[in-house]
Parts: sequence; C-alpha cells; structure tokens
Amino acid sequence: MKLIIERNQLMNSIQHVMKAISSRPTIAILSGIKLEAQQNFVKLTGSDSDITIESTIPREEDGMINIHDVQPGTVILQAKFVSEIVRKLPGDQVEIESDDELNVTIRSAAAEFKLNGQDAEEYPQPAILTTDNQFEIQADVLKNLIRQTNFAVSTQETRPILTGVHFILEDGVFELVATDSHRLASRKINLNSDAESVSFRNIVVPGKSLSELNKILDDHQEKVFVSVSDNQILFKTANVNFHSRLLDGNYPETSRLIPEQSKTTVSIKSRELMQTIDRASLLAQDNRNNIVKLATMPNQLQITSHSPEIGTAEEKVDTMSIEGEDLKISFNAKYMIDALRAIDSEEIEIAFTGAMRPFILRPQNEEESILQLITPVRTY
Amino acid sequence: MMNWSVLGEKQPVATKMLQNSIQKNRIAHAYLFHGPRGTGKREASLLFAMRYFCERPQENEEPCGECVACKRIQSGNHPDVHWIKPDGQSIKKEQIEFLQKEFTYSSFESDSKIYIVEKADKMTVNAANRLLKFLEEPSRRTLAILLTEQVDALLDTILSRCQRIHFYPLAQEAYLKQLREEGLSEANARLASALQFDLTEAKELQSDEWFANSRKIVVQLMDRIVQSNEESYIYFHQTWMQHFDGRVQHEKGLDLLLVWLKDLVYLHLDEKEQLVFIDQLDRLEQQQAHLPLQRIKAAIYEVLQTKRRLAMNVHPTLAMEQLILKMER
Repeated sequence: MKLIIERNQLMNSIQHVMKAISSRPTIAILSGIKLEAQQNFVKLTGSDSDITIESTIPREEDGMINIHDVQPGTVILQAKFVSEIVRKLPGDQVEIESDDELNVTIRSAAAEFKLNGQDAEEYPQPAILTTDNQFEIQADVLKNLIRQTNFAVSTQETRPILTGVHFILEDGVFELVATDSHRLASRKINLNSDAESVSFRNIVVPGKSLSELNKILDDHQEKVFVSVSDNQILFKTANVNFHSRLLDGNYPETSRLIPEQSKTTVSIKSRELMQTIDRASLLAQDNRNNIVKLATMPNQLQITSHSPEIGTAEEKVDTMSIEGEDLKISFNAKYMIDALRAIDSEEIEIAFTGAMRPFILRPQNEEESILQLITPVRTY
Repeated sequence: MMNWSVLGEKQPVATKMLQNSIQKNRIAHAYLFHGPRGTGKREASLLFAMRYFCERPQENEEPCGECVACKRIQSGNHPDVHWIKPDGQSIKKEQIEFLQKEFTYSSFESDSKIYIVEKADKMTVNAANRLLKFLEEPSRRTLAILLTEQVDALLDTILSRCQRIHFYPLAQEAYLKQLREEGLSEANARLASALQFDLTEAKELQSDEWFANSRKIVVQLMDRIVQSNEESYIYFHQTWMQHFDGRVQHEKGLDLLLVWLKDLVYLHLDEKEQLVFIDQLDRLEQQQAHLPLQRIKAAIYEVLQTKRRLAMNVHPTLAMEQLILKMER
C-alpha cells in the first residue's frame, strides 16, 4: 500500500475515528486505526466494539485533490502514536507506505517514521447493512431528537435495557422514547414519504452511543441515512459512518404509562416556571430527591421547597390558565428542569391526574410531537 | 495446529461429546470443562469457539483454522469471543462487570457470542453470583465455557447450570512413552508425568537447574526429618527458604514432597514399578525403614493442609515451619 495525502484532511479524519477508540481496549487489535486506501478514497476506522466510526476521505472534494498517489491496500496502525505523529508532522502532505511485512513508513517533508503495522484481517468486520432498510433524516433534526430524549435514559445497570433509547419507525412516523422508570421522554416526527416502506420496533440504541453520535454530527442540514439490522444501527453522513451495537432485550411497553385524561390542566410560560423551580430547588438540593412542591391557586402556581435544617423557599408564578381541580403535588426539581429544557418552547401545558399519578408536559402549540412524563414523589 | 482428532487421542470421551453436540446441533448454553492441568481444557475450548464461528467448517466438526474467524480467535482478536482470566489471584469484580455489560449488548459481528472463563474456581463468591444470573437466564445466542481444575471449589448453583465435561488425567503409560521418545531421562519422565506437566513443561524440566536443585533439597529435607535430630528445622531455614521464594515456588516444592511421600507409600505396599524417584531407591528404602505407613499418611495429610493454607494466603514461612514441626513428630 502506498499513498500521498493532504495532512489536514488526514488529521481531521483521525480525530473523528479517535473518538471511538478506547484507552483500554477489550481486544488488542482495537487499539489500532484501520487505514484502507482505494483508488477513489481513503477510509479510516476506529472502534471500541460498542461503537465504530468510519471516516472517508474522497480523492477529490470541492475541486481540491486530497489524495495524490495511491496503491490500494489496508493496514492497522497504533492509534495512539499515529495520531500524535500526524499532528506534529512538518509538511502539508503525508506519504504512507507499507510493505508486505507490514512495516509502515510515514514521511512528511524531512521527517520519517517507521512503525510496525498489524494485519488488517485481524480487525473486526462490522456487519454490512443493506440499504433497503434505510431512511433519511436531517442531521440537525436528528441531533435535536437525541437531545430531547437521551437525557432521560437510566444510568443504573439494574435494568440494562433502560440505558438505551427506544427507536420506533412505523407508517413514516419516527419515535424515540427514553425512560429511567421515574420519568419518560418521548419525541415523534413525521418523516418524508420515502420512509414509509421502512418500519421497525424494539431497536434500543445505547444512550452512551447516542451521546457520542451527537458530538460527531454537525449542526447543519446535512442528510443522515439511518439503517438498522438485528444487532447494529448505522448513521451515515457524507464522509462519516457511525455504527453502534444495540442493546439486547425487550423494551417495556411505554404507551400505557401515559395518562389519557387529566383532572387539572395548567398553561404557563416555560421560562418563568423553569426559573422559579430552579430557585426553589436551591433549598431542596440537600434532601435526597431534590423535592419541590407545587400547589394551584387562582391563576397562579405556588412553588415551595423546604429543608428542615436550612429553611424554606416560596414563590408564586403567574399562569395563563388553570382548569380543573385544585392540586398539591411534589416532584423532583431536576426532572422538571430537564423536561422543560428539552421541550424548548415558549408556552407549555402541564396535565395532572391527581397528586399520586404521573403528569405530562407538552408544548402548547404543536400537539403530541414531544412529551415529557414525570412521576411525582409521595411526601405527605 | 490443534484439532479434534489430536485432542481425541488424549481425551476420547470429552472430544466425542463435544463433537456430537455440534453435529446434532445440540449445543448447551453453558459448559464446564473440568479436569487436572495439562489435560487439554483450554485447547478444547479454543477449538469449540473456532468451530462455532468458523466460516468453512470441515468434516468431523473440525474448524478450518484458516478463515478470518478462526485466525482471529487464535490470536485473541475476535470481537465476539471473550476470554476472562484471573487477574492476579482471583477473577475480579470489574472483569465480571465487563462481562455483564457485554451481555446486555448485541453481538458485534456475527449473531452469537462466546465467553470463556479460565480458572473459574478463582471467581470470588460475589463474582460467581453475578455470573450466575446469566447462566440462569441464558440469552439464545450466548455460549459460556467455564474451565476449572477444582470443580469442587465452584458454587453448587453454578455447577447445576452447566453441562459438565470431564477431562480425564492422561493415561500414564502412554504419556510416559511419549516423554521417553522426546528424550527425557527415565527419572525426569516419571516426575513430569507425576506432576502432570504438559509436554512443553516437561521438556523444559530436562534443563531446568532450579528444578533439579529443588528436587535435591526436598530429598535432603526428608532425610533430616527421618533422622529426627531436629536439624530439619535449621536446614529448612538455611536451605529451603533460600531456594524457594514466594507462594508459587513453595507450592512446587510441596508438590515434589508429595510425590516423595507417595513413593514411600508405594514401597510399603511393595509396588516398586510405580515409583517416581527410581534413581533414589536406596534412600527411599532407608527412609521407609524408619517411617511406618501411619506416619507417612499423617505427613501427606499435613502437606495437603499446608498447600491449602498457602492458597489462603497464610504467610509461607509460618505455614512451612508448622509443616516441618508436625512432620518431625
């Protein structure tokens, strides 16, 4: 294998794949980067076996030639060293050459490094996903979907399946659900008509993988192709492929948890409520569950918190409307703030069904596309 | 390369059982390979994993050994095969936690996973109980292979959930013949087979100076114990402690001592052809005259106790001192 490549492009790709490489790999070969040179592109792969990131450098992009001289081939290089070496190389171009004995030479300007490569056959080969089970979505939309649900995944390993986000695609409606059994976040969007031929359920993507994905996706309207198989999910952008393993098991049925009727409905400005709860929680942080109390008053909500050793906080916040029965309810302030942040809408509607039943938050204008559910805390 | 037919010569029963379970497509969800060291447990689990993932399986359920999957299993780089080995003295909680995480994820490449736990008896009770959960509720695509030399040290709850495959100690005569053919002296061949060394270890024995010295020291220590003029205690401190360093070496010394004591028993029973230290026949007979069978039995019991104490981290010097004092009596 032999190639000459622009250093900046190579460095960029290395940085992408390094995100997947663990400092303590589970199998030895995963401490390496796989470098695959073809006539028309160079592909780098990094993996920690949970996620795998592939970054492709096309031969030519926007009229710029990235790769100059190629003899196809594949080799595995020690990730830790190759990333440092390429970063510090003096020239603008890098020449990488490997012989049959897997001795790799990296040259740039006057610098030359000789590294021991490893056989590419040893590297894991992620399952090839077929394109017919694929749909497309804009990167910024996908990022938002993840941001609005991923925070609610469980961090405890007692029910491993809840550490992931449930992906459902049916009749062109794409839904993400995450819950840690105390709260639930769900978001639905309509995809364009192409997606109607694809459908899946019980695809559970680990929350950790999604956080990584969010770091990699750019914040613009680039297209992302998503394809799903039994044990893998692939997010594909122009130059980066992101594979993740899935969680094994059945995700619990969550639609039954969402109450259909409500006894008390409150419409309120989201920002004001958030700030009020944030202030009240200052005194609540000491007790274990970060509990604040909410009580309805005529056209107002009263938010209180108290901690026996420190003191009490009380604040009234104006609402736009309150309908239904009077109510007193306690809940975890952190869950409330997370939920309000995720909804990211000026006015929201909260629907309560009694002090001991979970309540739901929705934006006032667009119905049903985003929903946050919080279970209250029993206090008296 | 290892294959079933080579292994089958050593372990006909175990090999046949494993081959049949593959052939009839009746692979259990968990296997326990148990038997003394050097009996091919590790080789068998490697072969089994290779056959399980092999892309071009051959006749008689042999893996091809050449496809990408086989090669990577041999080099330890297959992403769906997990080897767990004791990290130091025991299998640590973190290692089982890693396994637990691995269970909740889908497999990486293929649609199934194998995990192999070497020296499964080295799991702490805590670790074993964590593993138990997955033996109880096996996922349809996960296969566990536990390897152990001490099957009794495993929890009953684990034993009852595995298909047990016994690896029998090697047939003495055949192995001795093989060792002789490899050019070992008669005495060394007998010793290697008595200590259940595998072929490579046995060959190293031939030129191992440390081991030759250990042998000498054990014999001399026994001499002094038999003479019972209380020199043995001094000899132990002057020579034994200089030579044997650390738990592992002490254990080797004790193993040698056991073989010697066993020889004394054989002499009492008049079964000279079973002797290991045949080159030391005079000495053995001399000692036999002084030691009644009863005392040898007691000594064997004490040595086994000391081995157990060492495994439980009793200070080697103290454990050994106690042994010497008890044997002198």
